[in-house]
Amino acid sequence: MNLAAGFTFICPFKTNSGNRALEHLPVELSDLNAFKPMIITSASLTGKKAIRTLIQAFGDSGMTLGLFDEVTDKADLSVVDQIKELYVHGKYDSIIALGAGLVADTAKLVNLAVSTKIADARKLSAEADIRGPLSPLVVVPTAGATGMETSKYAVLNRRTFVSVSLMPNLVILDPRLTKTCDPKITVESGMAAFGRTLEAYISSDKNPFMDAYAFTALRFIRENLAVAVNKRCNKQASLAVANAAAMSGCVLSNTGQNVLHRLGQIFQNIVHVHPGVMIGMCLNPFLDDCMKKDSSLVSSLLQPLAGDDKSAAMPEAGKAGEAFREIYGFSYEIYGALKGRMPRTISEAGISQFLMNDILEIINKEPDGAYLRTLVERVCGSSVRA
Amino acid sequence: MILPDYYEFCCRVKLVAGHDALEKIPSLLGEMGAQKPLIITDKGVAAAGLVDIVVKALSDGVVIGGIADNVPPDSDLKVVNQLAGLYRDNACDAIIAIGGGSVMDTAKGVNIVVSENATDLMAFSGAGALKRHLKPLVAVPTTAGTGSEVTLVAVIKDHEKHLKMLFTSYFLLPSVSILDSRMTMTMPPFITAMTGMDALSHAVEGYYCLQKNPLSDAHSLAAINMIFKNLPSVTKNPLDKDGRLAMAVAACLAGVSFSNSMVGLVHNLGHATGAVCGVPHGICMAMLLPYGLEYNMHKREDTIAELLLPIVGEEVYLQTSKSERADKVVSMIRQMNQDLNVITGGRHPRNLSEIKDRDGKQMVPRDVLPQIAQAAMLDGATIYNPEEQDYEDNLMVLDAAWEGRSLDRNKIKKG
Repeated sequence: MNLAAGFTFICPFKTNSGNRALEHLPVELSDLNAFKPMIITSASLTGKKAIRTLIQAFGDSGMTLGLFDEVTDKADLSVVDQIKELYVHGKYDSIIALGAGLVADTAKLVNLAVSTKIADARKLSAEADIRGPLSPLVVVPTAGATGMETSKYAVLNRRTFVSVSLMPNLVILDPRLTKTCDPKITVESGMAAFGRTLEAYISSDKNPFMDAYAFTALRFIRENLAVAVNKRCNKQASLAVANAAAMSGCVLSNTGQNVLHRLGQIFQNIVHVHPGVMIGMCLNPFLDDCMKKDSSLVSSLLQPLAGDDKSAAMPEAGKAGEAFREIYGFSYEIYGALKGRMPRTISEAGISQFLMNDILEIINKEPDGAYLRTLVERVCGSSVRA
Repeated sequence: MILPDYYEFCCRVKLVAGHDALEKIPSLLGEMGAQKPLIITDKGVAAAGLVDIVVKALSDGVVIGGIADNVPPDSDLKVVNQLAGLYRDNACDAIIAIGGGSVMDTAKGVNIVVSENATDLMAFSGAGALKRHLKPLVAVPTTAGTGSEVTLVAVIKDHEKHLKMLFTSYFLLPSVSILDSRMTMTMPPFITAMTGMDALSHAVEGYYCLQKNPLSDAHSLAAINMIFKNLPSVTKNPLDKDGRLAMAVAACLAGVSFSNSMVGLVHNLGHATGAVCGVPHGICMAMLLPYGLEYNMHKREDTIAELLLPIVGEEVYLQTSKSERADKVVSMIRQMNQDLNVITGGRHPRNLSEIKDRDGKQMVPRDVLPQIAQAAMLDGATIYNPEEQDYEDNLMVLDAAWEGRSLDRNKIKKG
């Protein structure tokens, strides 16, 4: 790690994780000087049970809660404007985003709209400079979180807003909400977090603070993702994966190295697949390239992935290869256990050539588009071409 | 890696580090809508020329609203109020605090007064009394030890009423902390050694105390590794720029860890030793750290053993059998005190009996140990220590630390 070059790090959110974490919300909100939160969620995507669990956690706190549960996968800035009106009219003072992905994106932009007091949220511009602090925002991820919930990004209708001010003040990880009995949901979430974190961890511009989050996230996923797949409905393993996903949002917000992330995002925007699908697919070819470029960076992965003893026992020259084998073996096990439900190629994901062409058009506009294309080419499969 | 049944972790401060991190202050202030900072510091920091370096770094885009270098070693309500007046009179819109713990505390106190327009600071004491964002506060630590640039606590003393006011709130956190190698470059070897050991005690205690969690652990491990790699060399070569930066970063990592996982016996007995005998905090930490490990060994052996790898590196780690790793951690920390003793020409002590004041007088006579053991019973840090402490155990630890011999672990009352 090269400290002499200097670095900046920020992670504005507090993490509360574990049993009855939700019950801490009233106290945490009042510490943020918030007493009338509005819950933004999706009855259809997040589910009514999760919404009930969250509301019940407020017990006899006496807090008045607002609820907007109509975020759908078609959410856009008009929905943001609609929620903003409800928020202003109801005199709410904070937002709780309950759910994964889009729900948090919507909530972040509602927060931007109400904090900057913009008259018409449909006119929010992704180009404008966003400076905080905004109103208190709590994120409560459910199973299948993308990791983006805790990040500085908000993506709506293919438009990406970026600012540290958009990051939440608090993330609550409660096993009642992060548990799922569908291992595919956990794997999507885990692979998204794994890929993004791994890329930052082996980059040359990392710093010790970001590293602490990345190390923890990588080890959590390595130790828990296969368990979550093999022992269905395992509360502890899925909570650990959810922890890693939340940490990956912090890591992603502090790195400029985000090839895998961007590919995941582009495919999510166009064909609405979980970013973990594409990130998982591209992991091996990406690592292959990293090995060829500078295998010494890859060797640092062995410690978080294989543990202290195994990593220390491996001579330096063998570390990168061993780390590569760890990852290969680990993803092989997970993909195998899912029996084809997690696609290994773009063909298997059922993406048509027609949509693929749209995707390639966007990829070509990226500054490193030529490289991204070489990655995509290697995971196409038989029926589509890049 | 163990996921605790429940944990909380938080470090909301923006951290900017580097050999020229100070030069980023104007744009950081600009991002927060501020351009006229009040600089708060103490005489020692100013005399070391550190304020001049900061002022020079601020030359572009910032109007300095005043420089106050009268922060006393012990925070004082009177000074807080006086500096708040200066802030208002000069129409400042931000605070830059350059210094150690008491400067940070004072700056936080001033920030409460000016942000809340308070006349009575007492109204905001306790936990959670602050309700909104305060004025931008830029912390520039000059010690590489306390970690106070990332803590949400401030202690202000009202010397007239003999009151100690404690403030805890997320809003007290600095907006930005600047870790710049130039700020610690002039620290003499003896101070470098003790502040570095202070940081080590945060990282190590943070790793075995009761609120530890995976994120505080990762911060501890990184800090411990960097301290062992850099503390002896920086103490030997004060002008080692990269080593200074590494120590500043390590101390901050350690601060993040212990402010989340809390601290135990070492701090508990250390606070008491400081209070009874006036020994500098870092020295107390350095002398007591091996005993914190020994006292908690029967409850935390596996945890303590995990510290060996970042301390000694892979080769020695592999040569040490599993059952010896935890003991090796303790002996490496004792060895660090020994090495620092040699490097500082004997000024860094190896046990409580060796601590001397400026006139060479022994600061901790053996007969005050019972008084320290008693005072420690009133300190809050004992709550987070894995093993319970009582008066007899405290005295037993202090006795051993006074002589510099290992603790007889069979005599610890195991709860």
